[in-house]
Amino acid sequence: MDDKLIKSAHTAVFKGSDSLEGICTRIEGYDFNQGVNYSRLLKSMLSSGFQASNFGEAIEIVNEMLNWRLSDEPIAEDSSEEEKDPTYRESVRSKVFLGFTSNLISSGVRDTVRYLTEHHMVDVIVTTTGGIEEDLIKCLAPTYKGDFSLPGAQLRSRGLNRIGNLLVPNDNYCKFEDWIIPIFDQMLKEQHEENVLWTPSKLIARLGREINNGSSYLYWAYKNNIPVFCPGLTDGSLGDMLYFHSFRSPGLIIDVVQDIRAMNGEAVRASPRKTGMIILGGGLPKHHICNANMMRNGADYAVYINTAQEYDGSDSGARPDEAVSWGKIRGSAKTVKVHCDATIAFPLLVAETFASKSKNLA
Amino acid sequence: MSDEEHHFESKADAGASKTYPQQAGTIRKNGYIVIKNRPCKVFEVSTSKTGKHGHAKCHFVGIDIFTAKKLEDIVPSSHNCDVPHVNRTDYQLIDISEDGFVSLLTESGDTKDDLRLPTDENLLKQIKDGFAEGKDLVVSVMSAMGEEQICALKDIGPK
Repeated sequence: MDDKLIKSAHTAVFKGSDSLEGICTRIEGYDFNQGVNYSRLLKSMLSSGFQASNFGEAIEIVNEMLNWRLSDEPIAEDSSEEEKDPTYRESVRSKVFLGFTSNLISSGVRDTVRYLTEHHMVDVIVTTTGGIEEDLIKCLAPTYKGDFSLPGAQLRSRGLNRIGNLLVPNDNYCKFEDWIIPIFDQMLKEQHEENVLWTPSKLIARLGREINNGSSYLYWAYKNNIPVFCPGLTDGSLGDMLYFHSFRSPGLIIDVVQDIRAMNGEAVRASPRKTGMIILGGGLPKHHICNANMMRNGADYAVYINTAQEYDGSDSGARPDEAVSWGKIRGSAKTVKVHCDATIAFPLLVAETFASKSKNLA
Repeated sequence: MSDEEHHFESKADAGASKTYPQQAGTIRKNGYIVIKNRPCKVFEVSTSKTGKHGHAKCHFVGIDIFTAKKLEDIVPSSHNCDVPHVNRTDYQLIDISEDGFVSLLTESGDTKDDLRLPTDENLLKQIKDGFAEGKDLVVSVMSAMGEEQICALKDIGPK
């Protein structure tokens, strides 16, 4: 009797399995006996499991996106003569949309973004207002490392603003105000005298021109004609400056309608290029880029790096598959979400993709 | 907090400046301030400390002393604002003309005829009725930034 029970338990525990050999990747981490080789260490993540594997996939997807050329695709029947020309097809690459939240620009990721705009490695940028001003302010005065646990009331009395474990002194914003108000005055003048109709992206380009500093990603975005969209422009220190400016010198108009035409146009007019989205964080930048890509029936590549969860139904936490249901990402697209703080994942991602490519492009 | 100065308003007011600068952070409620080129009495002041919005700022709500309109301004507290010189002068009311001007007796014995009746209904009624009844009336004229207006009325006659 016991024999039968044991045999049945044995069968349950040691149930015969399908073989995964050759079908799935073996899990294997980095062997430090080969020394500390960072490139190989990062490559080993693909086979390490959990978010390391997602990160490894993100590297693969971004590289695929960067390597794609129109010449990889069969010639479509309705192509124009120009589109059929092989040299032309070799030159057509993916259009890269990069989105990120403001906190990342307060952090050191700003310098990674600067590298990408300096070398025109992305085509469109979407961010929130802090993503604009923090970059400009860093050219006027630095941000410092603090601690998450610093007490708020004490910081307030010392004139220090906390962003996570970073500190930005009030003085920095005063310098920003002193720098930007004359620029707004000049812009208002141009609006009246030269009939310029300002939009958030035009304003941002102007600020990139005015800051004239190689450490600013906006400076390079201006130089390389990379549009930076920020439909929520009033929600930050920049907005405060616009508010105060409107009392002293009222009348500056900023048109968001023109910008939504431009942003969606970037997606709609992208074809025959493929489009790819690299989105750090959630919120407005994430949705704005996905929504624009919906206008062209979905992006072809999508890499999300954020720490948000989907259980509350938020758009920030939504996985790429949710965007597929909306038509914001194509069903055939290569996508991945890396659940990780972008301050860790993004510089490492760029190291294994954009930055290592540029050595070849030299 | 008005200047109770009894000096003679000459037509050619050039030479005397109409405003003087004062640091925004020192202007208090019930003081005077120039907003959008209008002389105003400060109805409300609130200060926001230095922060993400830049320098500390004073938010002024002022009432135009002549038109009673509400005007707002926000100024960094370290900046200078214009404060109007506001003068009140009393004159005896001699006559009211048909086209709405008043004739006033100045201290030197001259007449001042260039002032209109006030637009404020209450005051207007008081002046018209008082004058019609033959009362001895003294009007207070408020002047600032080249504008003048009757702002108050006193009955100095015997009861």
